Amino acid sequence: MVTEFKLSSENKENCIIINTEGYINNIGGQKIVDEFNKYKNNGINNYVINLQESKIVNSIGISFLIELIEKLNETNGKLIFTNLDPTIEKTFTIMGLFQFAHKANNVEEALKLF
Amino acid sequence: MSKVLSEDLVSKLSLQVDSFQDGFKILAKSSSIEELGLNFNHILRGSLLITDVNLFHKRNKELEWITIFSKDNRYSKLLDDLTISSSYSISFPDEKPYKVICTIPLIDKSFFGIILGNKLDGAEYSDIEKIFLQIFLQILDNAYQAYINYKKEKQLIFALKHRVVQLNNLIGTGIEISNLHKIGYQLELALERAVSLTNSSKGALKTIKNGKVVSTIVLPMNYDLDEIFSAKYKIEAEVEFQGLTYSFCLANKETRKGIEDFDDTDYILLSAIAMQVTGALENEHLHKEALLKEKIKKELSVASTIQQKIIPAKLPEIPGYDISGINIPSAEVGGDYYDCMKLNDGRFALIIADVAGKGVPSALLVSTLNASLFSYLDLQIPLSEMAVKINSIIFNASPPDKFITFFIAVLNPENGELDIINAGHNPILLLKKDKSLKKIDAGGVAFGMFDMGLPFLGEQMVLEKGERLMLYTDGIPEAMNEKEEEYSDKKMEDFFCENYPDNASDFINDIVADVRKHTAGTPQSDDITALYLIRK
Repeated sequence: MVTEFKLSSENKENCIIINTEGYINNIGGQKIVDEFNKYKNNGINNYVINLQESKIVNSIGISFLIELIEKLNETNGKLIFTNLDPTIEKTFTIMGLFQFAHKANNVEEALKLF
Repeated sequence: MSKVLSEDLVSKLSLQVDSFQDGFKILAKSSSIEELGLNFNHILRGSLLITDVNLFHKRNKELEWITIFSKDNRYSKLLDDLTISSSYSISFPDEKPYKVICTIPLIDKSFFGIILGNKLDGAEYSDIEKIFLQIFLQILDNAYQAYINYKKEKQLIFALKHRVVQLNNLIGTGIEISNLHKIGYQLELALERAVSLTNSSKGALKTIKNGKVVSTIVLPMNYDLDEIFSAKYKIEAEVEFQGLTYSFCLANKETRKGIEDFDDTDYILLSAIAMQVTGALENEHLHKEALLKEKIKKELSVASTIQQKIIPAKLPEIPGYDISGINIPSAEVGGDYYDCMKLNDGRFALIIADVAGKGVPSALLVSTLNASLFSYLDLQIPLSEMAVKINSIIFNASPPDKFITFFIAVLNPENGELDIINAGHNPILLLKKDKSLKKIDAGGVAFGMFDMGLPFLGEQMVLEKGERLMLYTDGIPEAMNEKEEEYSDKKMEDFFCENYPDNASDFINDIVADVRKHTAGTPQSDDITALYLIRK
């Protein structure tokens, strides 16, 4: 069942892993961008967003993720989405997120791609 | 303007053309208004040595100025100096803490406010620099138009992609819902998709039976159901299936700026998803029905197998007699039964029975009767006593609407003596030597009707040489043709009296053929069972 949005983050060898839980909508998207900015302003360029506990996303949430991808592109940063629900993966593909971001099955696999 | 100044301007303008073009290219590439401000600062510093650049933006006349780019806070206190009008304004005041102040009305009815301080070298702005500056301000205006167009294009592409996502997910949702076989999961998935595809911030689904809410789903799960159904911005859709109403409600359509009311497309999407739920529920219902039918079919097949195993594949040979039997089951599993068992004392028990009703319960009751007969027949207790015991067993083993009509004749093959009990079965037919017909129907009520110790009265008689006995179930006289006319007792009795071939099996085949001739292809509605005995 979809819960209220929560997130946590950790720094692994200068790569930020953001773990989300719940509906990625206006609130969820803003929280992800806020968390991202916290690290981005300190010059960190590599990010993993682990969506294992997020099963639904709306287009407002996606617009925040695109904003984040655009910011990373300006500094040649890299973003990898992991643990994607099949429907979210399809949605991201149609919305064009994987033209500039990447995907991996899980966080461990993602970390090997940096 | 003097000729010298004009020539100087033309000369400097020629040199600056590339700079203007590059400036526009840089500004037009800006992906945000902040980037535009930063780039504008770079251009002025590079081209005119102006380092004290302050750019402000006002979304409309009523809103406050927002700082886009400024390195000096003191300018934010001078924003009242920026004049708002529908036309471009610029001034170069002498007695202000800045050198240039300018307001540009923009394409989207917003405004740029620009305040410039001293140049890097502290020199005053020359006339040519003032002209160049105004060209750069025009370039900024044009770049802002390009930025707005780029933004609109991006939004349009995003909206188109979102429509593709909506269509794709709508199709996918229908398939996924149909693949789930638990209604709770189906409803939850439908609500999730409806919420996300319409950009709702929350949604709820009530299942209502007879006006009462029997279950609810709220998404995200911490929200209050009533709060969703009473939201200012909401859309609702209801579908009904088998006495249950499924009431969907989505609340607060999200945008980047906040929430707004839903549009027609959102309502169409919600309705489509709700309809998909109905379709899935109907499919699920039909699927369950088909499974149930299949299960019943299998059970009937098992019951039929049991029954066929109980009915003897081959009857024993009785010296001095010829015996033959048949059981033709109807499409459903019937409850007919016949047998001829050889007893320990050399006698033979001829049995025929018919359980009321069809299906698995009837087959099981036949099985119980068969097992009881096996247990009691060799005990050589009087038939009337055995009938009381079996009646009690059948009564306790059967539901209230089930009973068995039963006939047994124990034959002593040496002298043709028959010990008979008829428990509610059709009269058994005896064709005497003189070709007269005798009906044997003495006995008692059918097995399983009462368990009050009611006696079963037996009958003894002798089957003389040349005499014939026919045991049958009502499937023969009641066999119907297309006009629902029965073969009838009379026709059967006439056939019995008029046909007496040498072999018992020939009689069985002949009477079945005669019944078939009557029914003329009409599907058989009951089992056809008969046992025929000739004393040679």
